[in-house]
Parts: sequence; C-alpha cells; structure tokens
Amino acid sequence: MRQSILAGALAVLAVVPASVNAQAKTRVAAFDRTVVPPAGKTPELRVPAWTKSTLPDGAELIVSEKHGLPLVAFDISFVGGANQYEPANETGLASLTSAMLSEGTASRTGDQISDALQALGTTIQVSVAGESGRISFQSTTDKFAPTLAILADMLEHPSIPSAALERRRASTLVALTQSRDRTGGIAAVVFPKVIYTTDSPLGRTATEASIKAITRDDVVKFANSYFSPGHAIITVVGDVNAADVRRTVERTLAAWTGGSMPAFNYPTPPAAKSTTIYLVDKPGAAQSTFSIGFAGPPRANPDYYAIRVMNEMLGGLFQSRLNHNIREVKGYSYGVGSSFAYGRGPGAFRAGGEIVTAKSDSALIQFMKELRDIRGSNPPSDDEMQQAKASLVQSLPSSFESVGGVNSAISSIYTQGLPEDYYQQFARAVNAVTRDDVVRVAQKYIDPDHLDIVIVGDRSRIEAPLAATKIAPIVLLDPSGDPVGGGKP
Amino acid sequence: MQRRCRIHTIENVAEAGEAKHNCCGFVVQLLDPRPSPIDLSMRFLIAIPMLAAATATAATAAFAQRAPATGSTSAIRIPFQKYVLPNGLTVVLSEDHSTPTVAVEVMYHVASKNEKVGHTGFAHMFEHVMFTGSAHVPYGTHDRYTEGVGGSNNGSTGNDVTQYYETIPSNYLETSLWMEADRMGWLLDSLDEAKFKAQRDIVKNERRQSADNVPYARDGEVIDLTMFPEPNPYSWPVVGSMADLTVATVEDVKQFFRTYYVPNNATLAIVGDFDPKQAKAWVAKYFTEIPRGKAIVRPVVPASPLKSEKRLTFEDRVQVPELNIAWATVPSNNADRYALSLLSDILTGSRTAPLTKALVYDTQSATNASSRSQAEEGIGEFIVSVTPRPGHSLTELETIADSVIARIKMTGPTADELTRAKARREATFLNGLQSDLGKAQRLASDQTMFNDPSRSVTIDYPRTQAVTAADIKRVANKYLGSTRVVLSNVPLGKTQLASHADKSIVVTDPFTEKTLEVRP
Repeated sequence: MRQSILAGALAVLAVVPASVNAQAKTRVAAFDRTVVPPAGKTPELRVPAWTKSTLPDGAELIVSEKHGLPLVAFDISFVGGANQYEPANETGLASLTSAMLSEGTASRTGDQISDALQALGTTIQVSVAGESGRISFQSTTDKFAPTLAILADMLEHPSIPSAALERRRASTLVALTQSRDRTGGIAAVVFPKVIYTTDSPLGRTATEASIKAITRDDVVKFANSYFSPGHAIITVVGDVNAADVRRTVERTLAAWTGGSMPAFNYPTPPAAKSTTIYLVDKPGAAQSTFSIGFAGPPRANPDYYAIRVMNEMLGGLFQSRLNHNIREVKGYSYGVGSSFAYGRGPGAFRAGGEIVTAKSDSALIQFMKELRDIRGSNPPSDDEMQQAKASLVQSLPSSFESVGGVNSAISSIYTQGLPEDYYQQFARAVNAVTRDDVVRVAQKYIDPDHLDIVIVGDRSRIEAPLAATKIAPIVLLDPSGDPVGGGKP
Repeated sequence: MQRRCRIHTIENVAEAGEAKHNCCGFVVQLLDPRPSPIDLSMRFLIAIPMLAAATATAATAAFAQRAPATGSTSAIRIPFQKYVLPNGLTVVLSEDHSTPTVAVEVMYHVASKNEKVGHTGFAHMFEHVMFTGSAHVPYGTHDRYTEGVGGSNNGSTGNDVTQYYETIPSNYLETSLWMEADRMGWLLDSLDEAKFKAQRDIVKNERRQSADNVPYARDGEVIDLTMFPEPNPYSWPVVGSMADLTVATVEDVKQFFRTYYVPNNATLAIVGDFDPKQAKAWVAKYFTEIPRGKAIVRPVVPASPLKSEKRLTFEDRVQVPELNIAWATVPSNNADRYALSLLSDILTGSRTAPLTKALVYDTQSATNASSRSQAEEGIGEFIVSVTPRPGHSLTELETIADSVIARIKMTGPTADELTRAKARREATFLNGLQSDLGKAQRLASDQTMFNDPSRSVTIDYPRTQAVTAADIKRVANKYLGSTRVVLSNVPLGKTQLASHADKSIVVTDPFTEKTLEVRP
C-alpha cells in the first residue's frame, strides 16, 4: 500500500502533466484540466543596487535605498564570531556579552535604554554566532538617527553591571537545564562534539562549567575587543538618502575605534571514523532525534554550487528524496531533511529529523539507503535537476522583498567574503551544474562508511532494533556527549 | 489555541547547530528575519513567516499601497478589489509590483471548531489530504510548480479557518490558480485509503513533535479543556487527540469536503506582481464551474462555564516547573480585545513592563515572564506564564504576579507605558506591509471573519491606537478576576512543587498518546 504510493509518485515526477487518475470523475470538467497552464516569461532578476565607502574608523558602510514604506533596516555585521574570539573554556561568553550590551551604558541604565527604544518603536538586537556577529535594528525613517545614537552608546560605553551579569548567568543556566529536556536540545550538544571533539570551536557548546567560569573582566574584555569597527560592515537599507546616512553614521560613530580582521584558523577535524551509532538515552521520548553527518567542506570551494544542487534533491526540497521517502511514503516522521553548514571552516553536513520511536530502526535503514543512492546507484533525473536548480535561482527575488531581507542579502556577501556581483552570477553558476557534477560531489563528500550517527531517544525501545539493523556498532553517550561509564567515544 | 501546518519549519540560526523552531503558530513574524539568502540550504524545510490573528506580541498585520514617505501611518490605504463569483467564491486582489512574486491564498471558513467530539484533529488531517493530489493535478504536482520553480507552499489549520497558500515567481500565477481550483472542485476523484492513511501517520508524528515530545507544550491543551469544556468546540487542540486520529476514515473525509470545501465558504486572495485583468480572467476560467454548496451551519459556542478558580497540576517530562494563569476573555468581534491585547504588552512586553520587572528584575524570582491575549471567532483568553529561578517556588511567583495585576487594576497603566506599547505596535504594523504573503493572509482572514478585507487597517489598528489608560484599567478589572485557571507544570512525581499544592488537583492530558502516560 505504501509501495504503491511511491510508484505513483515516481511516475508523476517523470511525466508531470500527463498522469491522470483513472477513477470516475465526480463531475466532468468543462475543458481539459489535465493540461498544465504554460508559465509566463521568467521575470528578470532585479538585484538591489548599493553604494560602498570606508569610514574613518575602518568600518565599511553600505547603503541601499528602498523607498515605498517609511522603514529603515540598520545592521553592523562583524566578521568572525565565537569560533574566533571565544576562549575554549568560556563557551557562552560571546552570547552573554551580547546580552550585556543592553544592560546599561556609562550614561543610561538598562531600563532607560529599554524605555527609550520602546518610545522609538524599535528594539536593538545583538547576537554573536560562530563566524559572525551583528547589532541591528529596524525603525521608521524618522526614528533612525535617535535609535542609532542609542546603539552607538551601547557599543562604545557598555557598563556591564555585575548584578545584571549574575541575573543573566542564572537565566542562562536555567535555559541550559531546560534544553536537556528536549531530544533536539541534547542533539545540538552531542552531534558537533562527536564530529569535531571539543578541541575545535565547532565541537564546543556552552556548559554549566563554562558559564560559571566567565568573570566580569572576561565580558568587559570581550565587549571591547569584539564590538569594534576594524572588522565591521555597516549596512543601511530602506527609505533613506545615501549621503544623509553617511553623514549621520560618521557623526554618530565618530568615537568608535579599534579592532582588526580575524584569522580563520580551524584545527583539522579528526580523521573520519567508520560509521558508528552514538545513542543518547532520553527515557519516555515519543520521538528520536536523528543527526547523521560529518565535517563538511568550507564555503570557499569550487564544488559549492554542485553541492547546493545535490542537497536540494537529497534533503532540501519538500519532495526531496529523504522527505519524500521517510515522511510522505513511510510516515515515520513529520519532516526530515539535510543541510551543509559551510562557513570558513569545515561546517557540518547533517541529515536528520524527528522520528517516531517505534520506527527508529526502519528510518535509519531509509536514511542510509538515500545517502547511498544519491552517489550514483539512483542518479538524479532530469526533473530533479531542473527543480533543484530552479528552486535555488528563482527564489532569489523573494530575498529582496523587505528592507531586512535586502540588508541581510547584502551584508552576507561581505561577511562571507563573496564577490560583489555574487547575485548576478548565481544563476549562471547554478545552471552550469551537471548531473555528473551532482553524482561526483555526492561521492566525494558523502561517505556512507564513515558517518557519525547521533540518535537521541528512548533507549529501552530503540537500542535493540537499531542493533538488529546491523548498520553500525552502537556507542552509548550521556546528554553531554561523554561516554556512558567513562572512556573515549 | 494554536495553528498546525502541513510543514514544520526549522531555521538554523547559528553555525553551532542551534535551531529555531518556527511552526506557523503565533509570533512568527520576526521583525528582521535573517535566513541568509545566500545559503538557503541551511534550512531543513521551508521557512515561511506567517502572521497570526490577534496575539499580544504579533500585532495585527496590515498592508498598504506604497505610502508617501512621511513616517505617518495615517497615510496608509489599502488598494484592493473584491468581488464574488456566481458560485459564492469571494475574490480579493491587491497589486504590489515591488518584487516579481505573487502570493496566492485560499482560506476556507472551517477548522477544528467544526469537528465533533470523538473526531478531534480531523480538520487538520484533512488539510494534509488536500496535498495528496486531485483529479487533474496528481500528487507531487503542487510542490513541482511551487518549490520546484523557486516558490514555496504550505497550509495551516487553526480553530476557525484553514488556509492554503503559495508564494511563486509571478509567471506561475496561472499554474497556481489551476492547482487551487482543482483541489477545491475535484479532490475526491483521486482520494484513496492508502494516501489517507499515510497522512494520518504523518499527522500523528506532528502531534508527537509539537505536543507530546515537547516540554510544556501540553499546558495549553489542559487549560483550554478546563476553561471551555465539551461540548465547546474550543475544548480540544487543533492537532487533536491521538485516539481520535486513529478512528478517522476516508468516508469522513468525503463528508467533510462536501460540506465545507465549497466556494461559498472560501476566500481567494492574490497579492503581488500581476495584471488584475488577466488574473480575473484566470480566476473565472478555473473557479467558475465549481458548484456552490449548501449553506454552512456554524457551531454554537457557549461561554466558559467557569464560575470560580480551578487549580491544576500537570506532570511533564521536565526538570524546571512553570506556572500558567489563564482567564477567559472575549472573541474577536468584541471591542475589548484591543485593550486586552495592549494590556498584555504593557504587563510583559519589555524589561520595564511591570510583571516582567517585578518577577525577573526586582525580585529576580523568575527567569522569564510572558503573557498573551488571543481573540478567536468564538472565544478569547489571556494567559500569563512564568519560569522560576532555582530556589523560588511557583507559590511565590503567583503571589508576586497577583500583586502586580492588582496594582494595574487599581491604577491602570502610566501614560508612558501606554504610549510605549502603542509605539511598538506602529512598527510592527508597518513591518507587516512588506510581505505579499502576509498581506494575502490578512486580507483573506479579515474577509472571512468580518466580510471586510481591510478591517485590520481601517478598524483594528486605529482602534488599538485609540485605547486609553482607563480602557486598560477597565478590562483588567473586568476580565482578570478570580475566575481563572491556574496550571502548574511540574516534573514527574513532584506534584508538591505546584503553586499552593494542597489546593491543586493533579490532572493528565487526555489528548496524549496513551503509551506516554506510563509513569517511570
């Protein structure tokens, strides 16, 4: 019964317009509705234009005018993130410091900052991810300058009050405890640790010990060194005039100094081990969280576009092989997929999702099947190639719909070190990918004999069935990713 | 009250692998969504920001013609055309040529509220069946001509409405209308047992992933069942109970389709880069021959019968307890909803909001305090939720929360508090004008609920901005009274951690999968 759905679906993929159900119609249509209406002319890609200049403090300023609604999206992106700036024993420092910028300045309390921003109808967000950070806001055009003045104060004169730091620390510890109540929260810690070990920043996450080790001095030092113009890109998008923006930004950030571009030196990931299942027990879990992966290639890679196309059909699209099989045909999950993290370092590939406990073994068999098939035994069809490419190329315009979207599109180019005509070249690069390229990169990067399979679920119900699949040996880990009963994973 | 979607959306927000879960529930309209357009493969599935009706923090969305850049929202007008086909289908068109995309939304005025006791979750399961193909549009075609050409699609089911939507490159508008018309007119021709059962398994997984396997996620189910007990159709969750999902049959699907999925119970909204004359011609071509259905009988929704406080304890697979306090309020057609919505913002919308300030900052007895005011077609509710810091009891948190609410009832908000809450609304309002899909959903929702596609802009937004401090004080006194549900969520076996545990009754969630009720 499930098999017949699969067969039907594959037939559809091969000859989309022709397939018609043979059952009697409830009502005969007035014209032939089986004919797929022809698409109109493909709209021309309109990439927003922007101007770029370097400010006296060293930061790059980019302005893109987008009129229509009286809105402005302002963003300072910092090149490099926690992976480059955080000490190994103080994971969580970057996030804690980000939070502390809103806790007060030399001349404003945290409450005053909050009240002033509310009156301006906006909020300022600060965050530091693995390889980049940002401080940003969206406001109405008339509130842009006063909001920017508060942002500058937060950047240049954070007061880092001790009492606020302790409050933030306590909240972070509670959140860490709560994250271990979710199978996905546990997987987010264990999966990177298994792939990279804690010798790499890519394998480390915040722990109770690391959060407790952070001192106020550490936060002050991080704030001063990280939030600096020497590695900053300022992007302003919206209902503004470029020359006015430049004057306002230069005036408001005149006192901001220091900083330089970081180096991106990652340790080489550990040599790939033969495929192993790492099982973390979560008693009573209704579903198991699957994370199957390896240390993938960096973003700067001639295979980038071929990998993008390959992943669309493997686990990117709704009708990708993984989701179609494991969700739509087998019904083991509400949704599965796959992704490459890219980045400047060896970002992880992950295939996974939430799998009903009773079908954890069956789902693993299907994950392994799809990861093998894409390597050539079931090569991409013409329609898979066409859809994968179109989904990447034709979705670009919707990235430019909002001021925030345009801002993000432009700043990403600079934080990731891409050419300025990236979007203009994107379609050509994607469309040049061939079926052979897809098979080639699948073979090159996805090695079914050297995968780390992390499964967080109810051990009493899934361990024996997983072992019976004989796919790989099982190693038991605790929710911190350490071997149960000691020893090396 | 939650929405359920065909596709759960997950957005990876950090290289470290931290994921932000984004089911199209409330509060998904990020002020500045930032999935990198360079690397959309970061997503696991599809990320579609969606606006939900009447929540505290996700303020009313709206839409506008390209307004003059005055910074004044008073200049906002809605450019739309509305007409009704002879078969009763309401059509709303709104042009916006700023990006070469179009959003198509079909909203049916049927959802979990129309289900019967013993058949909960059916409307949402039906939504899934709508993606399994129709007479002339085989399974897979819908994804082929949305995602497969650079667009996206999803569906969602709430208490009151079910919606289907896609955003597509503008040259695929006709294809999209062809597909939506086919499942409105010819769904049953291709329906079979196997397709139906596969979707039933998927929906059971959805229940596990969004409720049974998620800490604190079932609190709302227990609260609603207590506040609006059967036969009130708001007593059960949209996703339904595991037991009921098992009993649904193909015959149920057919009956439901013939009753509710008729053009006279639907609104089609098209927003974006299209030629209205051409769009009207296509709408006529594809939808006109679908016959009108019988008039819909709407369910009767009784008021909450609660006459006093109900204190409940729910044991969950958690380590940290949480406290919820819930009151029944008003449905979406009651003007008090505007003041209630602002009241929620004023209580917990910022660090200086009185409830947040008292719990998280002054006493530091909690790590988080939140509230939300929801107004559905038949009911409304106001819920406060608090997470304690270690060493602080839920009883202590409840006492502090009660004292803050009592103070608001005595004095009302300050002028500054009210002004700040309204200023935040203006920003959210303008932000909502940027997305074709957000506009399409708002137009269709306002048409469905109020027979007025521009209601959000012309009535809801100005009325919210006109709320006075006296209004806030009045609704706080009128609705946040002693008749309420106090639900303590506690770790398994630790019922003594409930607020005033001696007065609290231990309850279970009847909607959960039975095997999960086994105690350790």
